[in-house]
Amino acid sequence: MPPRPPAASPPSSNFIADVSRFLGGFRWAFMPLGLLALVAVGVHSAADTLDDRLLAVVDRADSLFDALVGRYDVTAPMVEWLSLESRTRLARMLALAWELSADLVLALPALGYREVRAPVPAEAWRAAMGQQEARPSWRALWTRCLRRPTPMRWLRPLATAAVALAGACAVARLVQGTVYLSWRELMGDSAADVAARGLALGTLLGVLVSLGWRAVLRNLQAADAACEEDGGKGAFRRGLVGCAVVVPLAVAAVLDASPVLSFLR
Amino acid sequence: MFPSRAKGLLDFCMAVLCLWAAYHHTPAGALVRRGAAWATGTRSTARPLLAYYDGMTGTSLSEPLVAPEAPLARPLTDAEALAWGTHLALKGLDVRARQPVLALATELGVSSTALLDAGEGPDAAKKLHAALEADFPGDEARLTALFAGRVPARYALERVTAEGGVPTLERLAGQLPPGFEGASVGAAQALALATAFGLAWPVHEGARVSSPFGERLHPVLGTRKMHTGVDLSVPTGTSVVAVSAGVVRRASEDAVNGRVLVLDHGRGVTTAYCHNSELVVTVGQRVERGQLIARSGNTGRSTGPHLHYQLELASRPMDPLKFRTALRTAAAQGLTP
Repeated sequence: MPPRPPAASPPSSNFIADVSRFLGGFRWAFMPLGLLALVAVGVHSAADTLDDRLLAVVDRADSLFDALVGRYDVTAPMVEWLSLESRTRLARMLALAWELSADLVLALPALGYREVRAPVPAEAWRAAMGQQEARPSWRALWTRCLRRPTPMRWLRPLATAAVALAGACAVARLVQGTVYLSWRELMGDSAADVAARGLALGTLLGVLVSLGWRAVLRNLQAADAACEEDGGKGAFRRGLVGCAVVVPLAVAAVLDASPVLSFLR
Repeated sequence: MFPSRAKGLLDFCMAVLCLWAAYHHTPAGALVRRGAAWATGTRSTARPLLAYYDGMTGTSLSEPLVAPEAPLARPLTDAEALAWGTHLALKGLDVRARQPVLALATELGVSSTALLDAGEGPDAAKKLHAALEADFPGDEARLTALFAGRVPARYALERVTAEGGVPTLERLAGQLPPGFEGASVGAAQALALATAFGLAWPVHEGARVSSPFGERLHPVLGTRKMHTGVDLSVPTGTSVVAVSAGVVRRASEDAVNGRVLVLDHGRGVTTAYCHNSELVVTVGQRVERGQLIARSGNTGRSTGPHLHYQLELASRPMDPLKFRTALRTAAAQGLTP
């Protein structure tokens, strides 16, 4: 049975719709990259608030190490491995490594983002024949999270939601600053201020509505697929290291890097 | 909220904005920029990767410029220290990063040549600070205004206020869009230098400098090594005081530094005190200027009772004597054998 030709798209009504339809043809390229970028921006916003705390941790660890190796003449020169100066550099290197690791855990799955059209009745036979691979819906994923909870199924999507919120705030802040400072001479102070605030708020909402939930869903899908692959106790142990990497960043993202209300003041 | 027929356009715009932000403001973006520059054989404009976590954004202070060419004749007031810091930081900036300051100087009738001159520079910088003080009473906001311009500084200050925090230089710089990195570096360096000029001395003023800052033949190891602080010859048990208010970042003991304290004074300034016989403060404790923090000694790798005092600006060791007045320095060094 030949597939029925798809229903003709409605005739274009205006320029925006035409542009939108044209750009929609490239969603396979810009949506995964947009998700990846949003998560990367959010992860950096969170990591940026942690570098001072990392410095304190490095200081403590170095104190303990120096006290330990300083007990014996043979190991005493090792005290100088990490000078007072180089500890700050080490703390920043750790922050960088942490951020890039979190990018791998949270942002990389975004590259696997694919959009599928809702099955139309005429082609339902494809799904029935197993020829069309459909990704589980929100409802199916949620049900599995409740019935077969694992750290990966819960923590990865929640961490993604946290960094996506921080990322949206960072992008909105950049938009506000850029618009205000570049449009001020053109439009005047008050008008540029209003435009910048409006666009920042619009960006914050737009990023969350357009990309935020998709980033969470994509991570939930990736986590679910990984857990399904292992099953049983293996699913519980799967991705624990990744969770340990991203959870502190997610907490920092929510507490220190998501000034949502500041865009309303 | 948004017409469904414009969904593709909305998604595209949001994705582009996120890519723009990631490209300019994340280390991952910097890696991509470097990779692209390498592939195309061009020069990358991305900052060093570690500078993305640095309040001082760019980190290195250029050694010949940080200290005044001639020793200071008298102790500086807070306003004078800020002016000196501004003048020295400005000299270290590239031409493009200096533009907002020079534009402000022209607007206020201050000669840009005078601003960079070793003799007149601090006075010229003081005039700029005085002109901005009414609008920006806080040092950090004023330095942002000076190095980035009044409008960007006012905007950044409003944003930080909206977020509900203290307007530190790092937070103010975080509000500015791409293009202000050089200004943020200048402001941070000026603040660190100004803070260094305002530091007290950890022991009594007359303490002899037994080993100055710089490369030397190590008295124990017998090899040439960089001496990253100054050794102050004082008897065991001499009171060591905090040179400025700060937080104890480290209080520990090891075979090289002996009983060592590290104080973080904020604004990119850290001081360390080594070879003490006793530490009287603990990690995380807040200390005030002049507060007793330790008693000097002869612990660790040391040939006699002394205090090793180290000053770091933007995580880089600097000669503490360069931030003292000529009178005090001469008094301390005059006794050196």
